[in-house]
This record gives sequence, structure tokens and C-alpha cells, in this order.
Amino acid sequence: MPEAVVHIAQLNVQYGYKTVLDGLDWEINKGESWLLGGKSGSGKSSLARAISQATNADGKISISFDHSSTLNPKVHYVPNWYQFTNLEGDRNFYYQQRYNKQQKNDTLTVYAELLHFGEKENLDFSDIADYLTLFGFDDCKNTQLIELSSGEHKKLQLLQAIWLKPQLLIIDEPYTGLDKQTRKNLNQVFDALIEEGMTLLLISNDTDLPKQITHFAEIQNGKLAEVDSAEDFSMDELRQQKTLPYFLQQEPAFYSDTILQLKNIGVRYGEKEVLKNVSWTVKAGEKWLLQGSNGSGKSTLLSLLNGDHPQAYANDIYLFGNKRGSGESIWDIKEKVGIISPELHWYFDKSAKVWQSIASGFYDSIGLFRDLGFDKQQKVNQLLDFFDLLPYKNDLLTSLPLGKQRLVLLARTIIKNPTLLILDEPCQGLDQAQTTHFNEVVDELCRHGKTLIYVGHYESQIPNSIEKKILLEKGEVKAIETLLEAV
Amino acid sequence: MANYFNTLPLREQLNQLGVAEFMDSAEFADGVNALKGKKLVIVGCGAQGLNQGLNLRDSGLDISYALRKEAIEQKRDSWKNATDNNFTVGTYEELIPTADVVINLTPDKQHTSVINAVMPLMQQNSTLSYSHGFNIVEEGMQIRKDITVIMVAPKCPGSEVRAEYLRGFGVPTLIAVHPENDPEGKGLAYAKAYCVGTGGHRAGVLRSSFVAEVKSDLMGEQTILCGLLQTGSILSFDKMVEKGIDAGYASKLVQYGVEVVTEALKQGGITAMMDRLSNVAKIKAFDLSEELKDIMRPLFQKHQDDIMSGEFSKTMMEDWANGDANLLKWRAETGETAFEKTPAGDVKIAEQEYFDNYVLMVAFIRAGVELAFETMVEAGIKPESAYYESLHETPLIANTIARKKLFEMNRVISDTAEYGCYLFDQACKPLLADFMKTIDTDVVGKNYNDGKNLGVDNRELIQVNEVIRTHQVEEVGAVLRRAMTAMKTIKTV
Repeated sequence: MPEAVVHIAQLNVQYGYKTVLDGLDWEINKGESWLLGGKSGSGKSSLARAISQATNADGKISISFDHSSTLNPKVHYVPNWYQFTNLEGDRNFYYQQRYNKQQKNDTLTVYAELLHFGEKENLDFSDIADYLTLFGFDDCKNTQLIELSSGEHKKLQLLQAIWLKPQLLIIDEPYTGLDKQTRKNLNQVFDALIEEGMTLLLISNDTDLPKQITHFAEIQNGKLAEVDSAEDFSMDELRQQKTLPYFLQQEPAFYSDTILQLKNIGVRYGEKEVLKNVSWTVKAGEKWLLQGSNGSGKSTLLSLLNGDHPQAYANDIYLFGNKRGSGESIWDIKEKVGIISPELHWYFDKSAKVWQSIASGFYDSIGLFRDLGFDKQQKVNQLLDFFDLLPYKNDLLTSLPLGKQRLVLLARTIIKNPTLLILDEPCQGLDQAQTTHFNEVVDELCRHGKTLIYVGHYESQIPNSIEKKILLEKGEVKAIETLLEAV
Repeated sequence: MANYFNTLPLREQLNQLGVAEFMDSAEFADGVNALKGKKLVIVGCGAQGLNQGLNLRDSGLDISYALRKEAIEQKRDSWKNATDNNFTVGTYEELIPTADVVINLTPDKQHTSVINAVMPLMQQNSTLSYSHGFNIVEEGMQIRKDITVIMVAPKCPGSEVRAEYLRGFGVPTLIAVHPENDPEGKGLAYAKAYCVGTGGHRAGVLRSSFVAEVKSDLMGEQTILCGLLQTGSILSFDKMVEKGIDAGYASKLVQYGVEVVTEALKQGGITAMMDRLSNVAKIKAFDLSEELKDIMRPLFQKHQDDIMSGEFSKTMMEDWANGDANLLKWRAETGETAFEKTPAGDVKIAEQEYFDNYVLMVAFIRAGVELAFETMVEAGIKPESAYYESLHETPLIANTIARKKLFEMNRVISDTAEYGCYLFDQACKPLLADFMKTIDTDVVGKNYNDGKNLGVDNRELIQVNEVIRTHQVEEVGAVLRRAMTAMKTIKTV
């Protein structure tokens, strides 16, 4: 009889009137590592949170530690949503903040954050050196937290988790936003830790996993159900084909044959050169894929195109035929560009409801500050219907499963029928079915004359309409290529 | 230089004090057009200077920064702020002569020397902008008659001015034109365009005057905003420790309590703040605050009188001349208080608990806001101006206390506010000595509702509610808050 590491009996979790976990039983034995997958909103994250805060649960959760192990007798939980604070303990950041340079340090540096974590957990700093290199953090030790990209934030969280070496490690969506190489490295680290005796519990619908995962399960009707492999997880129902609302079948406004033209762009933060000598031209109607590893400068490049980056004024940039800094306002630019990015999502108004979130897209504002006329209200309703979001229209955006939140933000982005669509890792955190669905919608939208810039790490997970690719490496253009025409 | 306000005849004093027009959004339909293509040069690149500049540039205007030679040569923070964000930076001599508009965003204390250096370099018929009128009104700075003088004052810290702009909103802003310096009649058009450039037009704009802005700003910051929050915090903490409440708990309750309580104030005025209490606690807070108003009214009036007569600015400028002797002494004393030196305990305090266990602070805030408002209005300041400088700003200052207690508050506010705050605090503590003897932990430190029969007399409650809700600060506030549709919740807890 193997010794149970985690023993859960009759666990209940309820949010308001909704029962999420309903008398769930689960036993995780020594030597097992589990992958929890399945439909979004089925209660995976709630279960992970409950285990990590075992004491507050409604039901019985007992966790036993092996005191002869070399690993830390601890449970460590890495949530899929992560918030750091500034030096004053405040979380009031805005999403463009990392581009606005101020002399005052607002947040800790990566190095200080790690030092702080190490002291708190009593860890040896020399143990982390290899991981820092493996995760490509050697250059960013003195980078402030606010300056990290979303992928780098994820890596920092993972770094802390594996440095701690807890006996039970629970990670919600470990691969979100990671580039291919990092993901491979991470799985190797996981395998090594499992061999050392760690019990790993991952929440993910990915199929590219550590070899040592032994068990697979999903949650059905609030209870745990074991499945044979990651391929057997239940998927969200495929969405019914619906016709794109009429206003989105119209060609967007035309401004210029050349949507954007960058000549020898450079951006540096102190010592760190984020973009070097980048030249790039995008013509009207082209569909581009932008790729590069975490920290290669993708988000910074996009922020130059959206009016979010003050360095745009010092560079040779033409947007929609006009030179940047020739008297246009950032609102003139934003009006023509629809953007989604992990950062935008991250810093989005926490008090926003679904309907308001979508409606705010008319004005490119975070939060809705105006009353909408009848025509605009109709468009919001049509999009809610198109994305099957009508039942959620009065809910808080943050209360929806991640996949649905992304759809809301996509709806917000396209509601003004923008000329240029910039989708920066829009499918981060979505499962395969959701990703396919999302990309189909993007293809449909792009059939009507839009220009697209799409960021995605995996070429198997991009819209079919993509025709060209630009690859960044350490802030430089590594390659520009034409992909095969989609059949 | 003579105090400008004191040179005016009474009717003109009243006339300028009485400028307060809450502007309709239709007045901003021209956007930034009045300043389009003009050269705007900002002097100073601290928090306001940098963030306003970033906004104005993002609104399509031509911005550069004039800094003192030493700041450029020594690559000081102001120089780095401007160059790191790719602005053109130059000396006064290089940039001021080319400027159509010179925007002075240096600290108050430097205004006289900055203006004396800048004015001779300014073009004929150019424009000078301030964000605070102290230099013009109290120091009596005379600006060349061909120059237009305006004021655009966002009522928030610089970082918020930027954050709100980028999310497509703005911060409430006050604008003014100095009647002595509007030779071409373009002042208001320029001030409006500048305000649009910073995003202020989306969050409610009050048209004021230099005089009204200074006299109300000084009054607000000395009394309710900084002075009373400081006095109330220290007295509350000392009382709890004296009565045996755990010092860590007391420190946390005081540090964060004022922020939580005033968040309700910001969203819905005194009414909303008082409504967070149970009925019995509300009546208690009401009684305490009535008592506090009676005790403190003469002190509030003295502050307003000294501000009006110029006595306050005279004594403060004497302290400037004396190397800030008093300011530095009081600053050091504040740093040594037991509240300042006791770290917030590692205890969880629920949001509602900050109200239930801190009825005294609710009473302090109602008394302070209403007194400051009433005193200003009695002195000829319009209710709209008085609202901004009392109720509106209280939560912003409370947020600085939540971050790092009183020391932080005093670091963030201007030296003028800090000086006035200490003046008030010195006088207010002895004034409240007897009152504080009557205070026990039921209103500060423990839940007021504990062990009480929570029933109340209907008529008493109705009467209390009536008094709270019909106060003029509530009536004006309801109108002004409607324009600030999307006030962000500030939260450190």
C-alpha cells in the first residue's frame, strides 16, 4: 500500500450559487505525478488553490511530507495569474508603464526579488545559478520587474518554484507564454525533480509534457475522473458556425498602401538594448507572423506601432502613411489598430464587466467613460452573440474562465473594425480546441481586408491566413520569410 | 514683491475668489487645436513635468524641456527623465527664446528664481503657464505685460496623470487665466487646449482663478488634508497603545484605516462613508464629529484668516529665508512619533473592520471635511473650489499614509503643504487634549457594535441622516462626482 502524499475527501468549493467542486475525493501517492486537464471552467484552478491552502477547505485535505527526503517539506503553488507589487506594496500599475521611463525605481529588480525570495525561504543562492542561465535570465538580473515581458514573468515564477524544490509542487498553466526552448528545458527540470522524489501536479491541456507524468485526470461535475492520457481530456464543445456580423464584413477604413514602415529602429533601456536596427514594412492586407523567444523584443516592437511606447518619437516610423511624431495623437493611431496582448489583459480594469469591456473598444479606453448610442450598442450585442458570450454580459470579466476572457478582449479589439489587427499571443492559456476556434475567427475576420500581425510561439497554432513571417532574436531581425500560401 | 491679493480692492478680491465654473465638456470640442504647431517648453522634469509632457506629446503637441545648466551637466534625474523618453532637452538660453508657451512645473519654492531667469528670455506675446498660483498671488511676482499667464493644475500626483491618460481617461483639473496678464484674450483657449492635451477634460474641469486656487489650496492642505489626518492618526494610535491595544494592530489600523474609510468618501461623499457604519455607530460618529467641529472651528478659522491676510505665506517665507529651520525641526519630530516608529502588525484586518473599529477616524474626517468646506465658503470661496480642496483630495493624501505613514505623506506633498500641516498639528493636539480624555477603545481599536443592542431611535437616525445628506458639500459633490464617472479605486491593503 503506497503512502498517500495528498489525501482529499469530500472537498466542496462554491462560488456564489455555483457549485464548482462537489464532494471531490482524490489520493495522490508517492511517486506519482499528475496532469489535470479538461474543459475550462471545470474547477481545475479551484482545486489547485484548495490544495495549496488546505486549511481553509470545506472538506478534508491532508498532505504528508517525507522528512527523510532531500526536498523541502512544503507545498508550493504557482497560480496562472500573477501580480507583483511595487516598492510601496501597491498594485496600481498600468500596462504601458514599463515603457515610460522614470528615474525613481518603482519595483524590485529581478536579482533583488530572487534574493528576497531566497532569504524568506532560506535558500542557497548558488543553487540557482544554473537555472538562471537555463532560463536566459543572465542578462536581466538588474532589470526591474515592471520591465519584464509576460513570458519572462512566468519564467521568474517557475524559477522560484524549482529553486525551492518543494515536495509537492502545483503549477497552474506552466507553459503559458513560454517559448519552445524554455519549455523543453522546463520539462527536463521537472523530470529531474520528480526523480528526486517531488510530486508534481500540473494543470494544462498541453500534450508536450514531462516524461515522468504518470496520471491524468479531469474534473467532471465537480468530481475527479481519471483518464488514460492527455489526448483523452474532454474538450470544450466546438462552437457553432455563425455569420460574422454585417459591420465586420465591411472593409475597414483605408489610409495608405503601406500600413507601417520601420527603418533601423533602436530601443535601449540603460545598458540593455531591446531592439537593434530593426527594419520592417507591412503593406495593406498582409498577414504577418511575428516570432522570437521570450525577451527578444516582440512586445516592445508592437508597442511602438500602437502608440504605447514613448521611444517611437525618436525613431523613423511611418504608420498609416504618416511619420510618427508629426502632430498626430496616440488616439489617432489607436483608432486604427486593434490590439490584444498578455500585458493588456494582465493590467485590464479589474472592475470591468463583459459588456462594458467590449464597448470600451470603441474608444480604446480601459474602462468605459461614455454612453453608447443605439448603433454602437447594437454592435456590442451582435458581437456578444457571435462569440456566444450573451449569458455572461453582466458578469465581471475576471470571473470568466480565461478562454472566455480572451474572446471578450478579441471582441473589444475588433468592435471598431480596425484596419490593423495586432494579436500578441492571443491564445496564451487556451487549450487546443479554444485555440483552433480563436484562430478560425481571426481567419474569418481577416477575409475582409484587414492587415494582421500575429505573435505565436507554435506554428501549429496560428491562423491559416498567415503568409509572412518576421523572426526576432535578441532585438534584431533574424529572418523575414514568405510562408507557403495557405490552400 | 508685494502680496498680490492684498493690493486688490475688496470687490476685486471677492470677484477673483468667486471664480468657479464647472465646465461643460462641449467647451473642449476644439481639442488641442489652439496649441497645435506651437512650441511648448516645460521647465522642470520631476513627476508632474515628465508625466504632463508625455501626455501632451502623445496628444500631438511639440514638447521639449528647459533645464538649468547644472542639471544637464551633472546629468541629474530631471535630465535623465527627459532624455530617456527622447525629449529634446536644452538650457533656458537655448530653448526659452523659441517657446510659444513656457510651462513652469518646478517646485513652488523655486518659482521666483525660475521666473526671474526665464522671463527676460521669453518671446514677445508668448504664454507662461503655472500649476499653482502661489508665486503670483502670495509672492506677488509681476509678469511682463505682453505675456499671457495661465494655470493648468491636475488635481492628482504626476504618475496618476499619466496612468489615467493612457487608459483613455484623465484626472480632474483646474484651469485659470490671470486677469492682469491676458493681453490678447487667448488665455482661456490655451488653458483649455493644454487641459485636453493632458486628458483632464474627460474627468471634469473647474475654471478657477489664481487667487481662488491659492487661497483654497492652502486652506485644504493645512487643515483637513494633511494637518488633521496627521493629528488624528497620531492621537488615535497613542490612545490605543495607552489603553492596551496591541501596538502592531493599532499601527496597521491607523496606517490603512484612513485609506479604506476615505475610499468610501471618494465614491459617495460623507454620506457613503457614514453609511458604512451600523446605525448605532453612525450616530456615535455623528455626535463625536459634531463635538470635534465645535472644538476645532476656531482653529480652522484662524488658518483661513492667516491665509487670506497673507500672514501664513509671510511666516513661511521667513522660514524659507531661515534655511527652513522650523520645517526641518517639525519634520524630524514627526519621524520620531511612536506611530511612525511602530511597524504595522502582521494581522489581517477585514475591510469592514476598518470602519467598525475606527469610528473615531470617521468622525475626524467628517468633522475636518465639513469644517474646511464651511470655512472656505464663509470666506468667499465658491463651493466647487472648496469641494476640490477638501473632500476630493482627502483620499489621495490618505493613500500616501497607507503607503508609508506620515513621513511618506509629508515627503510627497509640497513643502508649503508640509509647513502648513505642521503648523496645524502643533495647535490642534493641545486643543483636543480634553476631548481625547473622553475617548475609549470602543471608538478606536475595538468593534463599536460589540455587546451593544443595535437598536436605534428612528427619529434620531432620520435626523442624523438628514443633517449629513443635506450638507452643501454633499450637494456640490454629487454634481461634480458625476463627471468623474470612472474614478479608480485606490487600494494598497
